[in-house]
Amino acid sequence: MENDFIVFHGDLQQLLEKVETGEMIPRLQASHAPMCKFFTAYYVISGIRHVVPLVHGPTGCPLYMSDFVRTRECCETRGVPLEPTACTTLDESHVIYGGEGKLLEAAKEAYAKYHPDLIVILSCCCSGIIGDDVESIAREAGKLVGCPVLALRSEGFGGDFRSGYEDAFKLIMDLMEPPETKRKGTINILGARWGPNPTEFTWDLDEIERLLSDIGIRVNAVIAGGCTVEQIRHAREVELNASWCYDWGQKLGDLMQERFGVPYSRTGQPYGPTATKEWLLGVARPLGMEEKALEVIEREMREVEPELAYMRQALEGRTAVIEISEFPGPIRALSLARMAEEFGAHPVVINVHPYTIKERMPSIKYILETGVNPEIILTKGLFHLGSFRSSKETEDELEEIVRGYDNVIFFGNSGRFPPCPVVNLTLMNPAFQPQYGFRGIKNIAALVRQALENENLPRSRLFRGMLYGTSAR
Amino acid sequence: MEQVRDKGPAGTAAGSLDQCTDPYLRCAFNGAAQTALGVSRSALLVHSPQGCEYLVNNAFASQECDYMETVTLCTKLCVDEIVHGGEDLLARTIREAKDLPISVLFVLSACGPEIVGDDIVAVCETVQPEVKFRLLPIECAGFRGSQYDGIDIALDTMLRKLVRGSGEKVPGSVCLIAPHANANPTWPADLAWVRQVLSRMGVPVVATLAHRTPLSEIENAASAEASIVLSHDAGQKAADYLFATYGTEQVCRGIPLPIGMTNTQRWLTALGERFDALETAEEMVSEGERMVMETCRRKWPMARFLYRVPAAIVADATVGIPLVRFVTEEMEMTPRLVALYSSQRQVRELLDRELESLGLSPGVVLGTDVYRTRKCLADARPRVVFGSTIERHASEGLGIPYVVEVVRMMRQFRLIDREYFGYGGILNLFECVQNEWTMAWRSKEKRYQAKW
Repeated sequence: MENDFIVFHGDLQQLLEKVETGEMIPRLQASHAPMCKFFTAYYVISGIRHVVPLVHGPTGCPLYMSDFVRTRECCETRGVPLEPTACTTLDESHVIYGGEGKLLEAAKEAYAKYHPDLIVILSCCCSGIIGDDVESIAREAGKLVGCPVLALRSEGFGGDFRSGYEDAFKLIMDLMEPPETKRKGTINILGARWGPNPTEFTWDLDEIERLLSDIGIRVNAVIAGGCTVEQIRHAREVELNASWCYDWGQKLGDLMQERFGVPYSRTGQPYGPTATKEWLLGVARPLGMEEKALEVIEREMREVEPELAYMRQALEGRTAVIEISEFPGPIRALSLARMAEEFGAHPVVINVHPYTIKERMPSIKYILETGVNPEIILTKGLFHLGSFRSSKETEDELEEIVRGYDNVIFFGNSGRFPPCPVVNLTLMNPAFQPQYGFRGIKNIAALVRQALENENLPRSRLFRGMLYGTSAR
Repeated sequence: MEQVRDKGPAGTAAGSLDQCTDPYLRCAFNGAAQTALGVSRSALLVHSPQGCEYLVNNAFASQECDYMETVTLCTKLCVDEIVHGGEDLLARTIREAKDLPISVLFVLSACGPEIVGDDIVAVCETVQPEVKFRLLPIECAGFRGSQYDGIDIALDTMLRKLVRGSGEKVPGSVCLIAPHANANPTWPADLAWVRQVLSRMGVPVVATLAHRTPLSEIENAASAEASIVLSHDAGQKAADYLFATYGTEQVCRGIPLPIGMTNTQRWLTALGERFDALETAEEMVSEGERMVMETCRRKWPMARFLYRVPAAIVADATVGIPLVRFVTEEMEMTPRLVALYSSQRQVRELLDRELESLGLSPGVVLGTDVYRTRKCLADARPRVVFGSTIERHASEGLGIPYVVEVVRMMRQFRLIDREYFGYGGILNLFECVQNEWTMAWRSKEKRYQAKW
């Protein structure tokens, strides 16, 4: 299939090569703006309980976090108490004369007001450019208050969104103390973020923890998804680190292995039976618990036998067009591609942004190493000028692509209207969560059944018009 | 936080100038973006790292923009541009946007480029001949102040650069200022109510600064005979500028915005007097009050049994100051704490006058932050809080049974905008109280299981 709107058509390996050689870097500056380093660093730090993230900057930077992460995500939906989003409120005079004095006072004040277990000073563009020495202030403040004070250089311009996550995870390592003991059968789960509660989507982590618990594996800490400073201190006492998502845990896992000698289980996301088995065995084997893990896997596989049979029957011989470019994420799209292939479908992943490939290079390479190399299509609409919102252009292109294949099933979300069954994999619908593990297989099978059995029902003109305008086809 | 006063039972210790705050207000950059996005057939280019784009998204939502009509762009500055300057990148990005079908491209600078000295004004002047639309640079780095300062900065730039001072006035006309500096989450309904009132009084609106405002309206703003500032938090400077430069007289200055029966009556009367429409104003008052009373009689809301219950108001000044009278008169509660996000002199004076006129002496916090609010709530122990989702969570453990979310709601999503101004606004606020009251009464658990 070749159309003038297609800018890349090949496989993941070929796309990776083009990104590595700089051939696929977006031409338009004002296209696709993900979060800045400050935001992502904040996400990680706020995942520690009783922490004061002290933003050394004006009030704009912390407020997105305050409204969206703290109040909406944590307090409203995850049962987390209201935690501070503290700020030094830098103004013009601080930009001219410096804000270090104010920062030191603010750190002392933060301790007096909130009695935290940890204060993390986050610099942003202002304090970074004027050269405030946040590390020295943190050291000084640490001597004056009753909890550790760390500093993180997280200026928005100082790196891409990934560097914020990684630098924050690295910083957390400074809290990890030499182990007093080795805790048998205990692991850390790495790579979580977003508020003092387990990771982005609690259901997926709940499923992992359920399976681990059945095997007899204990979790010391989910770093940093609701873990305590005390748990982080003892993080080196575990036998193994694992990741709830290979992509996000990989950096911290590698660093802890390199610096502390804690082994890291390299496994992909547990989507579908094979990946789930691999994930569990990847953790159980190094702990010497393989036998028990196999028992649990066998029991769980028996439970999902009807769903497995249905998935094979439903997907065999189909083309699975997978589009999860922005939310819930490209790595999930590739994990889904693997699962679709496992059930006999031919996966075609569309619109995985080259920026995403560039920023997730180690994870993409790992995925390729595991033999996942799906067909990839990128379209012009992906590189459109302006913010990344629902785009009529990419919708039209998707519809055209689907028409070019036979027997297609679409994995994405119901905001798309391709002429084929739509499997609505949005993570915004708790009714079909988790997607990980064996319970995930049940849920995804239910979503596939929903898509196929209702294929001929009319789609919403209302939603389509809302998303793409009344002129949409 | 600028002022804490001990005036009554909710009194708090005299406030110090805090170094560590948990602010309610966003930065100047956000306020400027909110203002620029109020201009129709425009686009917004932010000269900033990519994170600032998220503040633009928030402004975008607040102005109820349509992503199929309004494009927002970002230069996505990185270390290179901070070290070597980002002017070339800005020029390149403007050129990328040259085919957009717009009448004006607002170029906003954030903290980074302003500190390193990027001259967005010079870049816009250089590139202007290459593009068909107007380029309007607004220097509004976040460190220049709060979102209200940002609104004032953007309005000032728009007025100075876009208004054509022809000297011709449209008789009996007005210019509406800063309707968007209002914490009612669906504030466009307040603006719509004001427009409806003016239309009935026969008062033409020459320009609205700014909400879905065409560039031509802004250009003609000087032809308004009078201005009305629709916020107690921002916009006064724009009104002062219009008066000083074009003789545009400000109407309804120094009286609370029209929330509640008395405030609405006062405000409508002031308008009626100025525009020779007193009879119409009186009709509107009489019809409106009758409608509110009859509606209440027919719907029979139960949440009226809160007689002299101690209450707290935590909001912006635009909603918060008029709420003082609404809560005291219409709802018959007793304010024990008034905590406002902003702290300008005119806010302080207006609140003082209201409290004095009502004979109230609640604790007052101006320029409050989340920490101070929680502390003051703990001291004042109100039974009802009029505030936001933040206060719902901040009041946990304080034994406050009702938190009426009227500003900055995180979850209560309204598809139809609801005004707080005017008579419909009274019912909308009453409904918020009623719903909160109902939820507080709803059984949280069942005493036994049914058999079926």
